[in-house]
Amino acid sequence: MRVLGLETTCDETAAAVVSLSDDGRGHIRSDEILSQIAEHAAYGGVVPEIAARAHVEVIDRLVERAMDNAGLALSELDGIAAAAGPGLIGGVIVGLTTAKALALVTGKPLIAVNHLEAHALTARLTDGIAFPYLLLLASGGHTQLVAVRGVGDYVRLGATIDDAIGEAFDKVAKLLGLPYPGGPEVEREALKGDPERFALPRPLLGRPAPDFSLSGLKTALRIEAERIAPLSERDVSDLCAGFQAAVVDTVVDRTRVALRAFRETAGHPTALVAAGGVAANQTLRRALERLARESGLRLVAPPLRLCGDNGAMIAWAGIERLRLGLVDDLSAPARARWPLEETGPRP
Amino acid sequence: MRVLAIDTALNACAAGVLDAGAGQVLAEESLTLERGHAEELLPLIERVISRIDGRFSGIDRVAVTIGPGSYTGLRVGIAAARAIGLAAGAPVVGVSTLSGLLAPLVATGERRIAAAAIDARHGGVYLQAVAPGGRTVVAASHLSLRDAVRFLGSGPVVITGSGAAVIAAEAIEAGVSVDLSLAEVTPHVAWIARLGAIADPAHALPKPLYLKGPDAKPQAHARVARR
Ligand SMILES: Nc1ncnc2c1ncn2[C@@H]1O[C@H](COP(=O)(O)OP(=O)(O)O)[C@@H](O)[C@H]1O
Repeated sequence: MRVLGLETTCDETAAAVVSLSDDGRGHIRSDEILSQIAEHAAYGGVVPEIAARAHVEVIDRLVERAMDNAGLALSELDGIAAAAGPGLIGGVIVGLTTAKALALVTGKPLIAVNHLEAHALTARLTDGIAFPYLLLLASGGHTQLVAVRGVGDYVRLGATIDDAIGEAFDKVAKLLGLPYPGGPEVEREALKGDPERFALPRPLLGRPAPDFSLSGLKTALRIEAERIAPLSERDVSDLCAGFQAAVVDTVVDRTRVALRAFRETAGHPTALVAAGGVAANQTLRRALERLARESGLRLVAPPLRLCGDNGAMIAWAGIERLRLGLVDDLSAPARARWPLEETGPRP
Repeated sequence: MRVLAIDTALNACAAGVLDAGAGQVLAEESLTLERGHAEELLPLIERVISRIDGRFSGIDRVAVTIGPGSYTGLRVGIAAARAIGLAAGAPVVGVSTLSGLLAPLVATGERRIAAAAIDARHGGVYLQAVAPGGRTVVAASHLSLRDAVRFLGSGPVVITGSGAAVIAAEAIEAGVSVDLSLAEVTPHVAWIARLGAIADPAHALPKPLYLKGPDAKPQAHARVARR
């Protein structure tokens, strides 16, 4: 089984082909990603209209390249998948419409994939793990702890009540005058800094429900920064280190609570899975690895290229759904908002 | 040559197939809608193409309206057209909505200035105008109402498009003779197909013609002072 996957929900245009072999494992046959970072850099964040304009200029070329690199013709595919949301609607429409048109001409089934579900299932592509598992999904737009029980069967255990973690990294970077996107920059600065110099809060630490709150931490950091401004190189590094340490402590605590909740409701997880752009953070990975080990679990975190937005995860989610017969028709809507819980088989 | 034409730029969601040699429309369908083009378009194309022998293999070229128009609408049509072209192995050409609106006026051998105007909101219009014989009077542009009327000159003018009425009101006030009787709100998809059939694929690229910037301002960084 071979599926083409298209991703256009934010600022990456991506197309990839993934195949499924007889032993049930997925293989990435091609994986094209075109980042729009340069287009948005001047604005300090993603501008939806600029993103949508960029997607429509390149998506067909990326599809062509993904097919060429996979050595396949469109007619040799078994399905065409696209992220149908959640995300920036102008971009989602471009990717989904492209997939629909390809599906119509080739006569192949369309799979309208939930972008979050694609992140959630990536660990099965890379590591072939079985259900159920605990997923920490942390990206620029989402922060959730989810019990992944099956394809289309997700129970959200906790989520952020304000900013997403990646968003908080980006805002902190902006505040400190670091370039966009901020996550990797803050991580780089933090390496050089002293995480203990500033006493920053760990919001919601110890609370019984595994939710997150990032905005208080961000405000505390701003107050510290303003107090000692103008900032030296050293100050910036120390602030980044302090912020990252606070985030890591919070994530570990919240994940530990979620593991407990998981065992109460969904049984024994096969793994702790980290996904989304923030899962690229090495300090966070190491901390999660320790937590997993303590809990007798394996940490599965996708390779860096598959942490951010990509087409391979969409193609893989397409395979997971297609083999269960979960396909969509050509009127499938593009959705700005689409909770993971609403990805089950439609009645 | 058989041309599949697609238009989702304005208030229509339309597709049609023209046999350009025979000058005959083989199939066509058009819905009037404000929004929802992304959901309606592909099922509509499927209905149209099911009436064509050989379906997509019988298509030699795809033509699509590239704007000006609703940004989202343009991208729905263009994304669909380009993907169909890719999968069917057919070249894709872009046709401006203003040319599509003007075509039926120009085709009758009109002796007046023919103008197409699309309401761009906020007191602006997208305007294109040609003199008898085809000389450009106003190239496709985004203009204030006042400039639009000024550029049309002393007339007489025959005008079409969703912006026709507002321009006419202003122009008539200025003493210009304006004929609104032929005004249409959206181009007819058969005209998009005809223009697409004669377009040069090397130049009529299927890229959005927004005529306006993305309306985003670089952010003033709320950042803390650094040494
Ligand atoms: N090394 C890192 N440390 C922390 N955050 C990171 C790192 N790398 C990327 N990020 C953050 O991940 C987010 C991007 O992830 P992605 O999965 O593409 O998210 P989305 O599609 O929701 O924007 C950004 O907010 C970015 O700052």
